[in-house]
Amino acid sequence: PPRTERMAVDQDWTSVYPTAAAFKPASVPLPIRMGYPVKRGVPPSKEGNLELIKIPNFLHLTPPAIKKHCAALKDFCTEWPSALDSDEKCEQHFPIETETTDYVSAGTSIRNPKARVVTLRVKLSKLNLDEHAKKKLIKLVGERYCKDTDILTITTDRCPLRRQNYDYGIHLLTVLYHESWKTEMWESEKSEEDMEEYIWENSRSQKNALDTLLRIKASENVSNVTEEELLASDLVNDYRNSVIALKNEGETENNMSRYKESVKKLLNVKA
Amino acid sequence: MAAMAAWRAVRAVPCVPIVPAVTRPLHTTPARLKTRAARVRGGRGDKAVTYEMAHPPHYIAHRKGWLSLHTGNLDGEAGAAERAVEDAFLRRFLAGTFPGVLADAAVLKRRANLVVVCAVLARVLPPAKLYFLVGYTETLLSHFYKCPVRLELQTVPNKVIYKYL
Repeated sequence: PPRTERMAVDQDWTSVYPTAAAFKPASVPLPIRMGYPVKRGVPPSKEGNLELIKIPNFLHLTPPAIKKHCAALKDFCTEWPSALDSDEKCEQHFPIETETTDYVSAGTSIRNPKARVVTLRVKLSKLNLDEHAKKKLIKLVGERYCKDTDILTITTDRCPLRRQNYDYGIHLLTVLYHESWKTEMWESEKSEEDMEEYIWENSRSQKNALDTLLRIKASENVSNVTEEELLASDLVNDYRNSVIALKNEGETENNMSRYKESVKKLLNVKA
Repeated sequence: MAAMAAWRAVRAVPCVPIVPAVTRPLHTTPARLKTRAARVRGGRGDKAVTYEMAHPPHYIAHRKGWLSLHTGNLDGEAGAAERAVEDAFLRRFLAGTFPGVLADAAVLKRRANLVVVCAVLARVLPPAKLYFLVGYTETLLSHFYKCPVRLELQTVPNKVIYKYL
């Protein structure tokens, strides 16, 4: 006679199913039926039911069993360091985030070639870079930099071992940092197309504005106003700011209205 | 003359290629008998079949489960072929060590390194012999595959008949 007939209702289930095991119909006191029923019949009962054995069961993971697991594992755990209680502190002390993946599979071999990939993430604001170094680094790195979050991501997998890939990633970071601080001779040939953001000084817009203003002044027969005075005047400054905003941030309602106002004031057009 | 005229006529039509005798090979595969695989034929009404045998393979994932579970068949995982070969060997081994005792196909489960063989046996042998056979298979297979092999058995008084075909 199966054991189920002698089981108490409040027995310790963790001793019946201590580990992951196949379904034993004589140990589980539930009247489970599984399978497709024959015509005008019922699904087959649990004795000798292969379907019930085939599926993975979680009878060994009831809440009391999990509580016991946690209690046993607690002795091996250490507490989170109390000094690192916020995200910012973590970032401040550990600016580089390393991401590695381990793979588990069923079979006789634990090796998995996908496990050697290492991803390093750094916020550029944590690195000591000046304007030129930051722009050069972003140009060197290309797609790996995300402007919205200011995070540089380096993914390496060209070495066969994970430790080698991690070392290679750190080496890349060091090399990038040092290279961006150096200025090569050919960098002075940087032209307008290479610029990342719009600079108004020495641009066509500045020349056109000054030209127009000089001609206006000449036609009004005002004494020769020098370029520096014009550049320092409020009108030209307004125009300069609105043009920079338009080019760098794109066309928004605000920017367009600012541009309109500044051009009207420049050309002295009262709407 | 006629031949010359014909030849000139053929030459005059530019889009008719003169094809020499070309062999046309036929691509064949070995005979597969897809309509007879894993199916119990006939049907006088006296052939007793278990649930496994009664359902043809197109019912897998609809009315049947899988007899062998491992990660080799998942997307991006390797080792499916090795597991399949191990499965075939294990089933033949079991069929040989428990002749006439196996009530149904064996279910193989793999948990990391461990292989769990779940089998349903009929109560033919006395328990002492059964224990010996279990110990023998476990040790032999563990040494052979270099991974722990566990045998989980269930005994039934007789084969569980699903229907008669």
